[in-house]
Amino acid sequence: MDFLKEKYPEAQIGTLVNGDTEILVDKKDYESAVRACYEAGYTFCSVLSALDWKDRLTVVASLSRINPAEVGARNIHVKVDLPRTGAHVASIAKLYPGANFHERETYDMYGIRFDGHPNHRRILLPDNWQGGHPLLKDFVDKRPKRPRLVRHRFEE
Amino acid sequence: MGPQHPSTHGVLRLMVKLDGETVTWCEPDVGYLHRCFEKLCESKTYPMVIPFTDRTDYISAMINEQCYVEAVEKLFQGAITVPERAQYIRVLMAEVNRIASHFLALGSNAMDLGAVTPFLYCWRDREKVYSIFERITGGRLLYNYLRIGGVRNDLPEGILGTPEDGEEKADKTFWGFINYLDNYVIPQWDGLVTGNRIFQWRTMNVGCLSAADAIAYSTSGPVLRGSGVKWDLRKNLPYSIYDRFEFDIPVGKENGDCFDRWLVRVEEMRQSSRIVKQAMKWLAETPGETLGKVPRILKPPKGEVYHRIESPRGEIACYVASDGSPNPYKVKWRSPCFTHLQLMPKVGPGHKIADIVAILGSIDIVLGEVDR
Repeated sequence: MDFLKEKYPEAQIGTLVNGDTEILVDKKDYESAVRACYEAGYTFCSVLSALDWKDRLTVVASLSRINPAEVGARNIHVKVDLPRTGAHVASIAKLYPGANFHERETYDMYGIRFDGHPNHRRILLPDNWQGGHPLLKDFVDKRPKRPRLVRHRFEE
Repeated sequence: MGPQHPSTHGVLRLMVKLDGETVTWCEPDVGYLHRCFEKLCESKTYPMVIPFTDRTDYISAMINEQCYVEAVEKLFQGAITVPERAQYIRVLMAEVNRIASHFLALGSNAMDLGAVTPFLYCWRDREKVYSIFERITGGRLLYNYLRIGGVRNDLPEGILGTPEDGEEKADKTFWGFINYLDNYVIPQWDGLVTGNRIFQWRTMNVGCLSAADAIAYSTSGPVLRGSGVKWDLRKNLPYSIYDRFEFDIPVGKENGDCFDRWLVRVEEMRQSSRIVKQAMKWLAETPGETLGKVPRILKPPKGEVYHRIESPRGEIACYVASDGSPNPYKVKWRSPCFTHLQLMPKVGPGHKIADIVAILGSIDIVLGEVDR
C-alpha cells in the first residue's frame, strides 16, 4: 500500500471492514494505478464491478496476490468515480485477462464503457436487448407485463 | 454447441469454429440462466437474501450461504458474535457439502467422457447426504439453514453417530457417512475411474494450463491447484475457524491437465473427510448455543466488505455495500465458474471437439453460478 501512497499522494486511501485497502483515484490515474499494483505483485484480479451511488458510479477493481507461502494477504480495491451518463474508463483486460468477463458484465449491468476491451459486448443479457442497464438504481423495467391469472371465485 | 446439450452442464452455449474435427476458436455465450440475483438483493432485507444465495450454486448451497452470512457479519464489525458451536456446525456442513459437490463434479466429468456408471454412483452417494441434511435442515438440496449470527437450529440428537457406524447408517448419521466415504466410495472412484486406461488417455495432456496463465486468468480452486499453485483460501486467508483444523492441500503439476484436476478433487474429498472427523469430535463433546444475539431488524453500519471463501469450484466472493438501511445497497457475487469460463477461448483451440467436453467437465461449471 505504501507504493500507492507515494505515487498518488492526493488519492483517498481507506480501509474496508475486513482489512482490505481501498484507494480512490482519478480517472486519468486509473490505468497507471492498476499497473503499479500489477508490478507490486498483485497479479490476480479477483473481481471488477461497479457501485451506483445516486449521483455517481464507482468502478471497483479488486486485486490480490497469489503467494502460496503467505497467509492473510489483503486485497487492494482500486476505485474510480465516474459520472452517471457517458461513463467510460480504461480497460484492464489486456493486463489481467481474468477481468475480461467481469468488465463485460459491468458494461452490461451499468452501462460503463471500457476503452480498449477486445470483445465489448453484453454478456448476461442478450446482445440485442434494448431495455437499458439493469443494475442502475433508476432502472425501470419497460417490458410489457404479462396478464396475471385471476383466481376463480366459486359461487357459494 | 447450443444451450440444450447433454454435456454442457446446464444451459451453456459454446460457439466453436472447427477445422475438420479440430477446434480453432471457442467462445462461451452465457446468460441463459440469469435470474437477476444482484438486483433482487437490493429490494430485500439482509436475512431475506440467504435463500437466494443458496440458489446461485445449487450444488453446494451451504457454502454460498456461508460466504454471504460471514460477509454481513463482518459488516457489523464485532457487534454480532457467532457462538463457537455454530462455527463448528457451519464448517461441518460446508465440508460435507464440498464432498457431495465433488461427487457431482467427478460423476458428470466421467459421464461426459462416456462412463455412465460413475454418474449413477454419484447420485446414489449424494442421496445419502440429502437424507442427512434433510434431518437437520429440512431441505435436501437448498437449505436456508445459516443465519446471520449462527445457524437456524442445533443438530438433532444422534445425527453425529459413533465412529463404529457402518455403511447401513450412511444416510442416517455423519459418522456412518464418513466411514462409508473412506472405506467404500473413495476407493471406488480410484478403482473404477482414476486407474482406468481409457479415462487416462482422454484426460492426460488435454487442457493443459500453466501456472502463470492460471493466475492471469483469475482461476482458483481445483483448477488453480491442478496447475501447481498451492493456494487455498482456507489456509492462505483463513475465514471462519479453519485455522483450527489440520488438513493438507493437494496440488497438481506445473502444467496442469484435466487428469490433474480430477486427482486434486479426489484428494480434496479425503482431506475434507479429515476436517469433518475433527469437527465431529469437537461437536460431540461440547454443547452450546447456536445463534448469537442479533437485533430484530438488521441494520449494519455504513460500510463495504469483500469476503472471499473457498467453494468446491473456486473462490466465491461477496462484495456487500451497506448504507445503514435494512436493505443491502449492493451485493456483488463473484462466481468462480463465470471467471473460469474465460479459460475456454484460451485452452480450447487446438483440441478436438471431444476434448472440449473433457475440458469443460474438468473446469466444473454450474450455470446457476455463472449467470446468477
